[in-house]
Amino acid sequence: MSADPARLQVRALNKTFGSVQVLTDVELTVAGGEVHGLAGQNGSGKSTLIKILTGLYPPDPGADYHVDGRAMRLPVRWPEVHAAGISVVHQDLGLLDQLTVAENICIGGFPTSRVLGRIDRNRRDRLATRTLERLGVELDPATLVASLNAPERAEIAIARAMRDHAPGGGLIILDESTRALSGDDLTRIHTMLRRITADGSAALLISHNLAELMAVTDRITILRDGRLAGAGLRTADLSEEEIARRMLGSSLGQTMARPATPTTVKPPTVTVTGLAGRHVRDVEFALGAGEILGITGLPGNGYEEIPYLLTGAQAATSGVITTPAGTVDLTRAGVLGCLRAGVVLVPERRDRDGLAFELNLRDNISLPALRQRGRPWFVGRAWQRHDAEAALDSLDIRPRNPSILVKQLSGGNQQKVLLAKWLTRGPAVLVLHEPTQAVDVGARRDILHALRRAANSGVAVILISSEAEDLAAACDRVLVYSAASGVVDAASTTPDGLIDQIYQADACRTEPEGSPA
Amino acid sequence: MTLSDQTNKTSARESVVHGIDAPPPDPNSDLPPSAVAVTARPATTTTTGDRLRSIGSRYALIGVWIVMAVVYGAIMPDKFLGTSTAQAIFGSQSALLFLAVAALCTFVVGEFDLSFASVMGLSATIIPVLSTLHHLNLALACLIALLAALGCGLINALFIVKLGVPSLIVTLGTASLFLGLAELISSSTIVSVSNKTFSDIALHNVLGLPLSFYYGLILCAGFAYVLTWMPIGRHIVFVGANREVARLAGINVDRIRAGSYIVASLVAGLAGILLVATVGGFDPTASSSYLLPALAAVFLGTAIVMPGQFNPMGTFLGIYFLETGILGLQLLGYTGWVQDAFYGAGLVVAVTVASLVRNRTRTA
Repeated sequence: MSADPARLQVRALNKTFGSVQVLTDVELTVAGGEVHGLAGQNGSGKSTLIKILTGLYPPDPGADYHVDGRAMRLPVRWPEVHAAGISVVHQDLGLLDQLTVAENICIGGFPTSRVLGRIDRNRRDRLATRTLERLGVELDPATLVASLNAPERAEIAIARAMRDHAPGGGLIILDESTRALSGDDLTRIHTMLRRITADGSAALLISHNLAELMAVTDRITILRDGRLAGAGLRTADLSEEEIARRMLGSSLGQTMARPATPTTVKPPTVTVTGLAGRHVRDVEFALGAGEILGITGLPGNGYEEIPYLLTGAQAATSGVITTPAGTVDLTRAGVLGCLRAGVVLVPERRDRDGLAFELNLRDNISLPALRQRGRPWFVGRAWQRHDAEAALDSLDIRPRNPSILVKQLSGGNQQKVLLAKWLTRGPAVLVLHEPTQAVDVGARRDILHALRRAANSGVAVILISSEAEDLAAACDRVLVYSAASGVVDAASTTPDGLIDQIYQADACRTEPEGSPA
Repeated sequence: MTLSDQTNKTSARESVVHGIDAPPPDPNSDLPPSAVAVTARPATTTTTGDRLRSIGSRYALIGVWIVMAVVYGAIMPDKFLGTSTAQAIFGSQSALLFLAVAALCTFVVGEFDLSFASVMGLSATIIPVLSTLHHLNLALACLIALLAALGCGLINALFIVKLGVPSLIVTLGTASLFLGLAELISSSTIVSVSNKTFSDIALHNVLGLPLSFYYGLILCAGFAYVLTWMPIGRHIVFVGANREVARLAGINVDRIRAGSYIVASLVAGLAGILLVATVGGFDPTASSSYLLPALAAVFLGTAIVMPGQFNPMGTFLGIYFLETGILGLQLLGYTGWVQDAFYGAGLVVAVTVASLVRNRTRTA
């Protein structure tokens, strides 16, 4: 690389929320004149990184943030960083429909008359025209934004971000701003990005679309679980498959081995037929009591919806689940109907959907059992305490104190409490969504052990996860979901084999979708 | 399970450790057995110091209360010290306490109601108008007042829960609506009831305090019982703590939310009955002056008994804490303005203290 300082250089970036570390020693270097991609699945820390760069969150002490070789003060003060040349195009573009192109471009930086501070309309329109010309966009500044089409809107948002940058300077961060675009519209924006970076400005493109990252970026930084899984790799040396592999996890650092012998084939006791929701369709499978069944797919292809459809948390458009306790119509059963059939859900977001953080462990663990165990006029404390203590022991939750509040626990222990809450109820079918997300290695092992113990005691376990290693370590069988073929049994359940199949299953989907069907 | 299970808690815990926690090595898994699972740990990590500190933070307000009483007593021993002061404090606030409990009904489920004072005003207006002007049986008048309160609650629940309109807007609007209806009924003249039996229901002296004090105590204790010891109460607490968690546990969240508005209005209606029984009549335009003291007591209650949570016994103590402060100031000669100022400042201080207490638990 040249001796010139990079446009943006961030090093030693760490971020902890409470006891959870969401970013660990992250670095990001964007050179002038390049389009830099940032990839990673949900929860990998992408958005936290952007929020630190723009000053929404303070980083942990010790980080280092340079723009054009100048050190920025931390925590980030947005006006200072913006003046140094960083700007953002947000996901939803942030346009005001009822205002004109010129007004939208100049929001936050209207030229004003010196005396009264009134907006100088002529200078405003000139500024807008100049910015649009620089970007090669032909639009009348007086047009109402409401009348523009999708790519034009994206162009206006980019123009606003470029407004204050000197030609050839600055960095614009596109935070999934292109996700509403496809085909020619997307190409048009890519061409524009190329034009911007041709004179030396830089762009940081956050996208879920691997094809887009391959098409437009010069280099890519990949995050996984808040750590670098690839720092500024040259796009020319990568393939979509390689990016996916790095996003989802590599074969390195395996901490668990798969069950040595496949469990004896048990007759299926739980069957799911014709399940469809907003993003998935044709989901059909069966499993037996004592089996751990994994379901996975490419992040964003809709399989993440399956746990919520199975448990009545979200109404399905069609589908039936049969358990030993009965048959449930998933289009209208609701949570209670599924609970009655013994189907319980351990949701992904323990903070939002899983636990009441302001209440204590005992209350959280006993919540699902209150109706069964208590009488309408009295619920005893003794069994609640006993259940909670049994759970604390069997899952090794620390501190070992049932009256501590959930918010005082570490992420791994919170996740164990969430699991204990539903295990204590004695379910027939345990559905889990990403149960090891953002937990440490020890907690992850304990959780996977607990799943095996639950299965051995006769629970049918359905583990929906994007963690190939977890699936490989814990599951008897793994299904891969893709829109084209629904769920298909994975031939190989090694982590690498799974990632290959996840990628391939969706690769065959993208082709028929591209052609008009 | 073993006999020791029933004999004492520690052995029960040990039997758990050996019975459930350390299963035989899993034949289907070659995962290393979790080493920590078999090591015995101390039975509990709470120490006496922890427990004392927890009691300290739970009942700190009582300490402040005692300090306040001691200071007032030292400044004016003649006026402040005496059973009459205690009677004045504990005998006069029942309607306000009922009103605070009405507010609490919605707060515990994470909802928000500003109309409860007007519901009380409506109820307290209907009774004297019906019984004195229209010569209706007093008991029937009370029943009609309660039905009106029920209707108010249904209206709130309809708009907020069924139609999804923000509760702040709805109850701000219905507060004014119910007040207007009360003024319509009273035709802006204050009617009063004089009925010895009726006022005895509230004022009959038991152990130096009027019956109404005991009603308040029973109401709060009953409410606390429901929240702590009944399944529906535990569900209510979870709806207030995290609505989505409650929904995913199979709780009918909307039914509990709607119920909270309806019960809140009914309790406000009872407050109206109590008010008429104690003072005879009521000017509905004065209802709004009850709003802030009730809110102040509810929020003050979150700093005590169960810090960081809305709780009925906290509200009970909060009411009398605030009244002690005000009575003391009044005896010192500050009148009129002091009530408004004290309740207003009390509300802000209460919320601040409660949030500080909450933050302390977070770092503890």
